[in-house]
Amino acid sequence: MKKLFLLLLLVFTLFANERDVIQAQILEKIFQNIEMHREIVLWSDNKNLLQEFEKSRRFRITDDCHQATLLVVQEKKNLLKETCKKAVFVLDYALLQEIPESFGSMFWKKGRPNVVLIESRTKQQNIKITEELKMYVEEKIW
Amino acid sequence: MVKRREFFIFFLLFLLGLFFVYTYGEITKAKAKVFESIEKHEIVQISDVLEKLQKRIVSHALAQNIKDLPTFFESKEHAKECEEILSMMLASDVKYAYILYKDDQEKFRFLLDASKTDKANFNQKFDVNTPEYKLLYTTKKPQIIKQQNVENLYITYLHPIIKDGEVVALFNIDFTTDIKAIILESIKPIETLFTLLAVFIVIFMAMTLIQIFHYFITRKKIFTDPLTKTFNRNYLEEISTILNLENYSLAMLDLDKFKLINDTYGHKAGDHILSNVSKIVKSSIRESDILIRYGGEEFLLLINNRENIKRDICERVRHNISKEKFVYDGNEINVTVSIGLHSNPSLEKNLQEAIKKADKMLYEAKKGGRNRIIVYDEKKESTDSSSSSSKDLAFVKEALDDDRVTCYYQPIYNHKTGEIFKYEALVRIIGEDGKIIPPYQFLPQIKHTNMHYKLTQRILALVFEKFKTNQKQVSINISFTDLNNHDIEETIVQALHADDHLASRVTFEILESDEVDDIELFKQKIQLLHSLKAKVSIDDFGSGYSNFKRIIDTEANYLKIDGSLIKNIHINSKDFKVVRSIVHFALQSNMQTIAEFVHSKEVYDKLLLLDIDYMQGYYIAEPKSELALNEELFHSSSS
Repeated sequence: MKKLFLLLLLVFTLFANERDVIQAQILEKIFQNIEMHREIVLWSDNKNLLQEFEKSRRFRITDDCHQATLLVVQEKKNLLKETCKKAVFVLDYALLQEIPESFGSMFWKKGRPNVVLIESRTKQQNIKITEELKMYVEEKIW
Repeated sequence: MVKRREFFIFFLLFLLGLFFVYTYGEITKAKAKVFESIEKHEIVQISDVLEKLQKRIVSHALAQNIKDLPTFFESKEHAKECEEILSMMLASDVKYAYILYKDDQEKFRFLLDASKTDKANFNQKFDVNTPEYKLLYTTKKPQIIKQQNVENLYITYLHPIIKDGEVVALFNIDFTTDIKAIILESIKPIETLFTLLAVFIVIFMAMTLIQIFHYFITRKKIFTDPLTKTFNRNYLEEISTILNLENYSLAMLDLDKFKLINDTYGHKAGDHILSNVSKIVKSSIRESDILIRYGGEEFLLLINNRENIKRDICERVRHNISKEKFVYDGNEINVTVSIGLHSNPSLEKNLQEAIKKADKMLYEAKKGGRNRIIVYDEKKESTDSSSSSSKDLAFVKEALDDDRVTCYYQPIYNHKTGEIFKYEALVRIIGEDGKIIPPYQFLPQIKHTNMHYKLTQRILALVFEKFKTNQKQVSINISFTDLNNHDIEETIVQALHADDHLASRVTFEILESDEVDDIELFKQKIQLLHSLKAKVSIDDFGSGYSNFKRIIDTEANYLKIDGSLIKNIHINSKDFKVVRSIVHFALQSNMQTIAEFVHSKEVYDKLLLLDIDYMQGYYIAEPKSELALNEELFHSSSS
């Protein structure tokens, strides 16, 4: 928990200009602390983010959203209906409302990185969250 | 010694650099102060508004009996009212203004967001965890967070909302960097100027440092003789102005018969000897003594007077060199050194005068048989020195080293045959400006110094070289003291013994005016020249102290009548009579006569009346660097 916290703090203080890089690092940290019933294979409509994931080699990535197990979505229009049944992590707090399959979000609020994980949706999608992420868990979307 | 100019420039640059660093520091401090005062000003203004607003919120909540703020702000009416007030703070320098509270799980959540952009929802979680947020809850006092220019944020001001003595929420005001950017922009040219100046100064300082460094590297090369690794004359010149002669004794050292070593074993052997001798000298002296290669095989030693052991040091040097067996190419070579020591050089006018005195002692040491030390005695020499001219010895030394010593040749004319009989070699020095310097400007000054020997040796070498391949005859002036010098004697013997043809064409003109204190020795030397098949001429006859008996004893081949008797012979009947007597005497003694100083037709015609054998003078031909031809005679400007 503290590690992610420190990372968020570090981001806010030093590396704000390298948003994509930092965003990718935070997301990787989150994904390392969640457990799905299948291996995490990432797809994203944000190609910069995907490149950062590729560089770190912590997760498998794919350009084909059908082969992915976890979709990182920046804009709703990029999300194909037939793949919506897969787990979705959004990059905008408002998308949590718009995409019911999304279980969490990482977004920038007033220049600071924020993380929200929706408890009911994680349970529904059988996604387990480690202790480190507990403080980001919300019961509902405000 | 030290290149002061460079150090001065470096010091100036250093000061200038310090000044700029100081000024830059002051500007930075001033900048920080400006920002601080802006911050304070902004925060004081906002703080007042927020204080009033928090009181209003709390009083409203109490008045309506609302137990907590989330409930209060859940009411759209309350939220709208507060938002309107809070949003008034939003200006060009305030980007976000919002109210946060901490829930039971210690998570911060939005109560109200009056920001115009990036608006948060009521109760939305907000991940802020900088220590100041917690500090606000514990201290119940406003906090300021300096942001690192993140997302255009400059500082964040946190103001507590206190109810019943407890912090129940906080105002969060995010200032933008816009004002800071404007200030930074306005002072940027000054900063840039200072940065550029600082860079230039650093570059100049680096260049000066490199130059100083380069100076110290090359300094050693400039002042060190590459062969002997001792100091050279450049160093002597460098220190001459600052050298306190009161602290030193001065010794001139000259290796004995060094030319013979060079001629016998070759120059490489000579270099080997010089290199090893300098090592011995260096090991025989102290750190505080200064050894300088003065030129060729000559060294100048400045002996520190710290302890009164100057004579001991000289003796140690002499002894150590003489006991050493030098070996080169399988040959064992014995080397000795003669030393002239001046114990009180500070009594002299300058360093050059002191060197001259030491050189004179060196001359005495050589004359006395070499491998010895002669110390200058002020009392004994006081009368001599007063009459001595102070022409710089270094002048001749430099000419010898720079190969600027040359010979001019004046024809000696046989008026009976109308042909040049022979040439007289006359020394000249080519000045550094290329002008020819006549001997009277330097010869008297170096008389009785070791330099005179060296000059004579050079002349002999030049003349022998020039005449060994032609059929002409040549006369060389030489003094009795020169003949007494072993090195000169060896030079003559070596050159003429091996070349009879050359020897038969050489005449040594010995100055009659020279003091000859040892008649037997003089006769021996003349005998030696005869044995080599060279001829002997008595020069300047009639000007000195010799008597007819001595002249007859020398068995000279020629008698050159002194110019003082010739130059006025056409008008002075007494001179005419004296010259006639000399000619008669020479004829009786089986010597041929030469009249010098034949400067006019009148003199020439007058001399024709006498039975003079040969004539020489500007009327006939001036001395020239090349050998004159018969047809060039009687065409000089004086004719």
